[in-house]
Amino acid sequence: MTPALYELTAVQVRFGSRVALDIDTLMIRAGCLHVLIGPNGSGKTTLLAVLAFLRKPDRGSVVFCGSSVNWSGKELGRLRKKVTLLHQESYLFSGTVRANVGFGLRMRGVDQEETHRSVKHFLALVGMAGFEERDATALSGGEARRVALARALACRPEVLLLDEPLTHVDQESSTIVENLIASLSRAGTTIVMASHDDQIEKRLPCMIVRLNAGRTPRHEPAPEESA
Amino acid sequence: MGFLAESLRKAVFLIVSGSPDVLSAVWTSLFISANSILLASLLGIPAGMCIGVGDFPLKRIVLTLLNSLMAMPTVVIGLLVYSAISRRGVLGSWNLLFTPTGMILGLTLLALPIVANYSLSAVKGADPRIVPTALTLGATRFQSLLQLTREVRFGILAAIIAGFGRVISEVGAAMMLGGNIRGYTRTMTTAIALETEKGDFAYGLALGIILMGVALGINALLTFVQEKRRS
Amino acid sequence: MLSAADARLKLSTTTSTQDAGVLDVLLPPFEKNCHCQVNVIAVGTGKALKLGESGDVDVVLVHARPLEDQFVAAGFGLNRRDVMFNDFVIIGPPDDPAHIRSVKTAADALKRIAAAQVPFISRGDESGTHQKEMGLWRTGGLDPHGRWYRSVGQGMGETIIMATEVRGYTISDRGTYTKFKQGKTDLKILFEHEPGLLNPYGVIAVNPKKFPWVQYDLAMQFIDFLTGAEGQALIAGYRVGGEPVFFVYGRK
Repeated sequence: MTPALYELTAVQVRFGSRVALDIDTLMIRAGCLHVLIGPNGSGKTTLLAVLAFLRKPDRGSVVFCGSSVNWSGKELGRLRKKVTLLHQESYLFSGTVRANVGFGLRMRGVDQEETHRSVKHFLALVGMAGFEERDATALSGGEARRVALARALACRPEVLLLDEPLTHVDQESSTIVENLIASLSRAGTTIVMASHDDQIEKRLPCMIVRLNAGRTPRHEPAPEESA
Repeated sequence: MGFLAESLRKAVFLIVSGSPDVLSAVWTSLFISANSILLASLLGIPAGMCIGVGDFPLKRIVLTLLNSLMAMPTVVIGLLVYSAISRRGVLGSWNLLFTPTGMILGLTLLALPIVANYSLSAVKGADPRIVPTALTLGATRFQSLLQLTREVRFGILAAIIAGFGRVISEVGAAMMLGGNIRGYTRTMTTAIALETEKGDFAYGLALGIILMGVALGINALLTFVQEKRRS
Repeated sequence: MLSAADARLKLSTTTSTQDAGVLDVLLPPFEKNCHCQVNVIAVGTGKALKLGESGDVDVVLVHARPLEDQFVAAGFGLNRRDVMFNDFVIIGPPDDPAHIRSVKTAADALKRIAAAQVPFISRGDESGTHQKEMGLWRTGGLDPHGRWYRSVGQGMGETIIMATEVRGYTISDRGTYTKFKQGKTDLKILFEHEPGLLNPYGVIAVNPKKFPWVQYDLAMQFIDFLTGAEGQALIAGYRVGGEPVFFVYGRK
């Protein structure tokens, strides 16, 4: 068994009086592709936010890379540089595509030359070569999605979290993204992805985590292995 | 109509002849307004943004307070500052009364609630995804707030423009704190008040026209900068 | 503009004194001599003295003798000296609806205005002018009120403008009136030259014992200048529209 990258125990997240997430135990294994399957409102987005260290659970503990997360400012800054989340509807900053894709690199102190090279590389990867100087706020839906993906990938995170990356996306973009996910997974990046599509396990080797009303099935503490 | 025509004639003459009193008043207005809005922005923009973004128990009360401060009559603020910087006041030994610095202090306090409030609105109306997006891409809390500022920069600029309009048109507090000293603390607005009191309406109106011209010019400049960045 | 090296002498005076323009001829030679800048803060009489009472200015130049005496007696000021005087005049519309041209005293003039109920504009601001006016009503045994008597709480200039607009009477210091005569008002002097209408100006240094930070030496230099030969000559020679505005006591 590959080591557990995340171990969630008794994690609960509330919004007001509503319980959005209520997880007994959950383990995310390093280097594997995990797919969160569940209907709308089942807590997928909330779980991704916790895994991205953007939302502290109201109860419970999260262990990452063997150490318990204490959610202090400094520690979070460090952890967030290892984990990147791609929102379902991504927000692109005002400015050029280059400025967006290079954002994570700038935050990590990478020099300009190297940033330029990386931006070029990742734009090509998502099939958006040559888009560097375009205004990021003037792109079509599919183009914006791919730029957001390139921006997330450019961070070269250990863990990539994706919220419904294939939903409401045109066929061309969908294929590109799926292929990218597959090759990243093969290369060893831990990926956790929320999806509607429960046929996905037929196309990509992955572990399924089912969510319903914020809960994982109680009698199955470990995620299923796909066939 | 004769009044207006005479004033326009006088205004043109004053500008063209480069009257030292007029130049001095214009310079003083700009110097004091620029410093005041600079300080008000340095303090008010972060304050407004933090209140807007933050989530703390007394937030409701702070918001109400900030709103009320905007409605505070300038005379009251002028009086409060006056009583503080007069020789008998707590800050008496700083010797600020009847100096440009004293005026800047008062005008900064006048502009502060406006700048803070507009900045607060700017972030409240901002896309809630901005900060989480920056954070997940590896930004520190501070860096994410910087990015937020960049994303709402037009709202912030509006805050600065509003605050500037407030301070450059101020009469009461400027008079009280500056003493309307010729060549030292006499601004365009206090000069207009003086000329009006002396019954020299044409001169006062002429100064008023110059003041509007200066305000228009600066606003046009700021708008131009806004437009340029948009394209 | 101010240079950092120049000392600043803060002088509080009345708006009418500043408006009369005499400081424009007095200050430049003084500033040159003493290498300093005189910052003039022109406010109402009451406020001018109050600034001295809080030590916010170094020297006071006003024209309200009873208040000046109180100021010195209370220990706020030292070395009060007479500087100059002018007088008050009663001005009104050229056709003189209340017929005050022929009266013998100022108090009588006001009595006639009250009787005729012609508009009278009062400064109403506790200034020297206002106090002089109230004194005259008292002398005539009158307590003015009614629609014709308008207490406006404004400076001399605005008061004259108002009187001009409503075709009424008012009391003004000669200096301000002389300035306004040139194009801002068509009211005429209808009564003048009574000893009771004299308006003496006094200059007082703010007491350094009470307020150690005041520029006492500079203030005394200023007072000496005003009352000395050069200052007195400048005052006596000051003209507005060819007419003298202030008069000196003619000693020394």
